[in-house]
Amino acid sequence: MKVIRSFLKIFTVMVFLFLYSPIIAMVIFSFNESKSLAVFTNFSLKWYEKVIANPEVWRALYNSFWVGAVVTIISLILGLMMAMAVTRYSFTGKTILESFILIPIIIPEIAEALSLMMMYIFLNIPLGPVTVIIGHIAFDISFVTVVMRARMVGYDKSIEEAARTLGANELQTFFRITLPTLYPAILAAGLLAFTLSFDDLIKTLFTTGPGFKTLPLVIWSYAARGGVSPELNSLSSFALSISFLFAIFRLRAERRMGR
Amino acid sequence: MSEVYSVELENVVKRFGSVVAVDHVNLKIRENEFFSLLGPSGCGKTTTLRIIAGLEEPDEGIVKLYGKDVTDIPTHKRNIGMVFQHLALFPHMNVFENIAFGLKMRKLPREEIKREVKRILEIVKLEGLENRRINQLSGGQQQRVALARALVINPEVLLLDEPLGALDLKIRQHMMVELKNIQKRVKTTFIYVTHDQTEAMTMSDRIAIMKDGRIQQVGTPLEVYYKPSNTFVASFIGEAVNLIEGEIKENGIVDTSLGVIYCSEQSAKGKVAVMIRPENVEIDEKIDSVDNLFKGIVQAAIFKGSYIEYRVDIQGITFIVHKHGEENLGKIYPPGATVEVGWKKNSSLIIPVQS
Repeated sequence: MKVIRSFLKIFTVMVFLFLYSPIIAMVIFSFNESKSLAVFTNFSLKWYEKVIANPEVWRALYNSFWVGAVVTIISLILGLMMAMAVTRYSFTGKTILESFILIPIIIPEIAEALSLMMMYIFLNIPLGPVTVIIGHIAFDISFVTVVMRARMVGYDKSIEEAARTLGANELQTFFRITLPTLYPAILAAGLLAFTLSFDDLIKTLFTTGPGFKTLPLVIWSYAARGGVSPELNSLSSFALSISFLFAIFRLRAERRMGR
Repeated sequence: MSEVYSVELENVVKRFGSVVAVDHVNLKIRENEFFSLLGPSGCGKTTTLRIIAGLEEPDEGIVKLYGKDVTDIPTHKRNIGMVFQHLALFPHMNVFENIAFGLKMRKLPREEIKREVKRILEIVKLEGLENRRINQLSGGQQQRVALARALVINPEVLLLDEPLGALDLKIRQHMMVELKNIQKRVKTTFIYVTHDQTEAMTMSDRIAIMKDGRIQQVGTPLEVYYKPSNTFVASFIGEAVNLIEGEIKENGIVDTSLGVIYCSEQSAKGKVAVMIRPENVEIDEKIDSVDNLFKGIVQAAIFKGSYIEYRVDIQGITFIVHKHGEENLGKIYPPGATVEVGWKKNSSLIIPVQS
């Protein structure tokens, strides 16, 4: 028994090492003074200075943020409506719809990206920010719906009825009662949607037009051009810390949602 | 001058699929009355209440509030207050905001809202808790907030859907008295849904007893207890009842499997039941001056504090007798004892058998 337990412990530690040591190494070497990726010589911020001085990075970061914001808002609205529809009403095709919601989560992103690109070309839609946003929404909406639905199952509808007996019409009830009580779920779903959009590479790559780059796209193009460099390390660490920040916000929101 | 009714239901029907939840219900509820809808779960009492609130739409029939047809008027435009079974307090608001919600919807000025909330908090005895969050309150306090929130808007009727169900016995008994006092103070019609006859009997001016979507009887607590309209009401109300089926022989005399039973005179025909409340029955070795007298064997004697409950076998029928009075408590007939059981003819009531 004891042997099995210590084996499990070692195994767990190894899994985590395997998962996280590359990331940790990347972050450490982003502070390396020398160009070497094997020997750490001195602590330095010079690669970060180089990244910060690069206007392409700033443009990409700006693009990533506004695309993420638009995607988040639209996904939240659509996902909230979808979640409300499936948790509150019964209609024909509801079960099919509920499983269809999950499909974008299950199918490989590359297949989704490719089919989206083909559709855009077929419909003669010029590729650019709009097509990127549509692509992100197309699967963010699934995640938002799943998070919101989990919250809404078991939602006590009588608080809405109480509001109506007190003189609130349907619109007032929605904005003063339904939305505020769902706020933690909306926050969690929104942060998830933003992170997914912010991190996305494959779909953006397939659906973007000439000149429009998000941060992951810039990182990828550097990696494709010149292999791994300390500058790339610091750029990735920079992107990582932004995603990480949003993940922390999300976890805190989810904990609040659980309460 | 005709009487003022706060709520009238005319031939109201509500179906859920093939189930008829409310079946041609007619009710006239008087102004400032404490009125209870009482019945077992699934009898349609809550649906009836929700129809009055406008939260359910009746398939047939008319709902009137103070003489005005409101059948097609949505909930938020009817001036009603409602206390929900699970209270349905707004979790993201504090006590003040919960209570003020209805006043804000009515667009009252801030000062007036403050004054009204203060007034109602006094009535429900929650002064000083304005800024508490809902989850910082005890069950009884949450109850009062729900009541205050519904009352502060001065509703034409207050609807209460089993609001005491979640409370423990002591607080529930206390709240019953309190509710009745509050009702007298605010002078509003209260319509109270419950499956608990003690609650209904304690507080109500009148009670409607429902079963399978139909009203069985409407009457004062005394009426439904002593003059039940059928066997369902007779057995539903009160702790225990003796019901013996039989056929009318002549006026006031019913032929049953026990033999002839003499009853208070009443015009009825055919198959009926005779109802005898256990506390109206005498039990002894020898009884004089009763109209109905039977010999039986004690099956069980249960000491219940203020009385003894006997279960007596009379020709194969179990008869329940409640024996009160301290002079009788010292002497308990043990199981197996042969006793006489008897009652006056005024204590046996002829009622129709519930179909």
